[in-house]
Amino acid sequence: MSQPKQLQPIPSLKNPQYALGYWQKVTLSIWLIALIILPFADIEIVNFDPFLELTRMANGLVTPDFFATEYLWQAIMQTVNFAIIGVCLGLVLGAPLALIYQHPLISSCCAFLRAIHEIFWALLFLQVFGLSPLTGILAISIPFAATFARVFHDIINQSSDSPLESIDSRADMISRFTYGKIAQVMPQLMSYTRYRFECALRSSAVLGFIGMPTLGFYMETAFRQGNYSEGAALLMIFIALIGTIRYWCPPKLLGVYLVIACVTLIDIPHIDSSLLVRFITHDILPPAIANAATLAEVQWSSLTAWFSALFLEQAVPGAIATITLALLALAATHFISLSAHMMASKHLWPAPLTWLGRFSLLIGRSVPEYILAFIFLMLLGPSMLPAIIALAIHNGCVIAYLVVKQSNAIAPQEMQISRLNQFNYHIMPTIYPSMMALMFYRFEIIVRETAVFGILGIMTLGFYIDSNFSEIRYSNALILIICTALLNVAIDIISRRLLKFEQTSQASC
Amino acid sequence: MLTLANLNLHYDKTAGANTRKKTGKKKRSTQVIFDLSLTINEGEKVAIIGPSGAGKSSLLHHIYQELTTRAALCSQRQGLVDNLSIYHNIFMGALARHHWLFNLVNLMRPFKQNLHDIAVLCQQLELDQPLTKKVDQLSGGQRQRVALARALYQQQDIFIGDEPFSALDPLMTSRLLNTVLAQHNSVIMVIHDRALAMSAFDRVIALDKGRLILDSQQQSIDQEQITALYQTSAIA
Repeated sequence: MSQPKQLQPIPSLKNPQYALGYWQKVTLSIWLIALIILPFADIEIVNFDPFLELTRMANGLVTPDFFATEYLWQAIMQTVNFAIIGVCLGLVLGAPLALIYQHPLISSCCAFLRAIHEIFWALLFLQVFGLSPLTGILAISIPFAATFARVFHDIINQSSDSPLESIDSRADMISRFTYGKIAQVMPQLMSYTRYRFECALRSSAVLGFIGMPTLGFYMETAFRQGNYSEGAALLMIFIALIGTIRYWCPPKLLGVYLVIACVTLIDIPHIDSSLLVRFITHDILPPAIANAATLAEVQWSSLTAWFSALFLEQAVPGAIATITLALLALAATHFISLSAHMMASKHLWPAPLTWLGRFSLLIGRSVPEYILAFIFLMLLGPSMLPAIIALAIHNGCVIAYLVVKQSNAIAPQEMQISRLNQFNYHIMPTIYPSMMALMFYRFEIIVRETAVFGILGIMTLGFYIDSNFSEIRYSNALILIICTALLNVAIDIISRRLLKFEQTSQASC
Repeated sequence: MLTLANLNLHYDKTAGANTRKKTGKKKRSTQVIFDLSLTINEGEKVAIIGPSGAGKSSLLHHIYQELTTRAALCSQRQGLVDNLSIYHNIFMGALARHHWLFNLVNLMRPFKQNLHDIAVLCQQLELDQPLTKKVDQLSGGQRQRVALARALYQQQDIFIGDEPFSALDPLMTSRLLNTVLAQHNSVIMVIHDRALAMSAFDRVIALDKGRLILDSQQQSIDQEQITALYQTSAIA
């Protein structure tokens, strides 16, 4: 039994093959695609001296000036108000839709509404309502309602049917549904709503970049003028606001906050209905139709010429840039999620170090991509690089945050192996599929954000939309917004077809 | 009350783990019940026994489908809502007796009368836990008794149970079985304990590989036959 054994080579097993696993293939293809399109992407550093700017920013960061902003209190108030009213309105509209979401018409309508970013909604409403709070609230609540409808529907669908089985079949629908289904998933619904509230705060701040009186407005002004001390202070306030939601906004107080929000909302100015009518019947129509008095007078040839020019010169190049940027950002996000997860995993580091890691994850996920991109743009100059970095940091941190939550719940193996081996052989294989699933789930969000970065000057679809708005060509802008939405919907459908894994709805934003 | 003639059942028809219609890719189903004929009369207390995989649960769920308006089911998969309290889980049995508005209000603020009824019921089932406790904090045996209480609280004529006592000790099992038998006119129950099936029920049915093997109504059966049934099955 204890004879020294010599390994006998089994003849038929000379060169054992080890095929690539599913996740290896997926990972490799993400990076392969990124490498192939990299030469076509515009990623040079344009800024002559990024380090000068960087030192000034760092300087501002260590000397934050919390009193530089006039109307700071009002800005915080309005940011919170838009978020609260927006989420509540979104819930009121979205929750009933969740019950009939299985209807193809409802789900495709919701997909379309969701695909249009809050900023594009705001740009549209801005033309009608001006800088009224209505613009901010509607811009948040419409896409949020569509998201609530979809995610609530998913959550309810994933719940078990077995309680329904044991309920007396003569009980009415409402009782069966509330006791058997809703009660079962209530914690998920609540925690998702809380998460969306965090998203709404971010969106609300970002709306400041197009002029709404929220924190983003003052942040943009401060950064553009080079007041980095003021900008850093605003950024810190914003991160603190998001990091402490659970303390200042427990679910029980939401009703109270809603009332306060409605009371303290800045006055809604009188809406000029003629403006609204003019916008719908004239401004957003293509010039060929708007200028014709009757349908018979419409010059179809000029309409087609207008459309094809718009499509070929703006929509197609914009869409190509959007997809390029999104795919590069996906690869970068993969890298950041992996390293950020490693940084904050309790299986690898002693507790104090993981707190540090989790704190940096908090910062990474609290700052909206849009603001990150804006900061990197100041540093590196206008190219795709700032956008890629911003998307990767924000999304990577969100994914890592969710994955760390999961991986910290894993009980370590009862085996004498080192931490690193444990991490590589037990934690990573367990967690990797859900990390990838989260990442592809976020891809939809990456595409959405990518389009919006155009407003910062990166030549994606948003760039063309924004320039059309500023040239008062609303009809062009509308067509491009629709193109963007359709692109998002198409990408969503394709990625869902390609990768069929379980939907983890908690991650969608 | 119920007559089944030449019943054939397939796996995806049962309420087993694979009922989800979403996994509709695999249409291949295996037959679990073969040409089964059975008549159950009003007022009978029937025990169904047989080795595992004999098709007992499938048959039971089919019977429940047939009697659904008059019967309370205590399924093996309990179907408790983890997020609700003991009180609310048991109250689910009474949903059909109240208006939906009453049920909704009760979800937020329990009504005194129901609270009292359910407290009595829990006492009967030896469930000495606070009614406000969430069911995910209970042990296996306690959860099973909550599921049982919910079926009892339906206050139906017929009780249909799929091993409702499997997590309880023998003494408690026989006490609770007496409660169940006393409160229902007819009882149809899959039960693990063969001796108890023989002693406490009017009629015992044995299934093996989807076929009805023994029926105490038509033939007198003894312990030996049943033991043989389990043994042949174990070998096969």
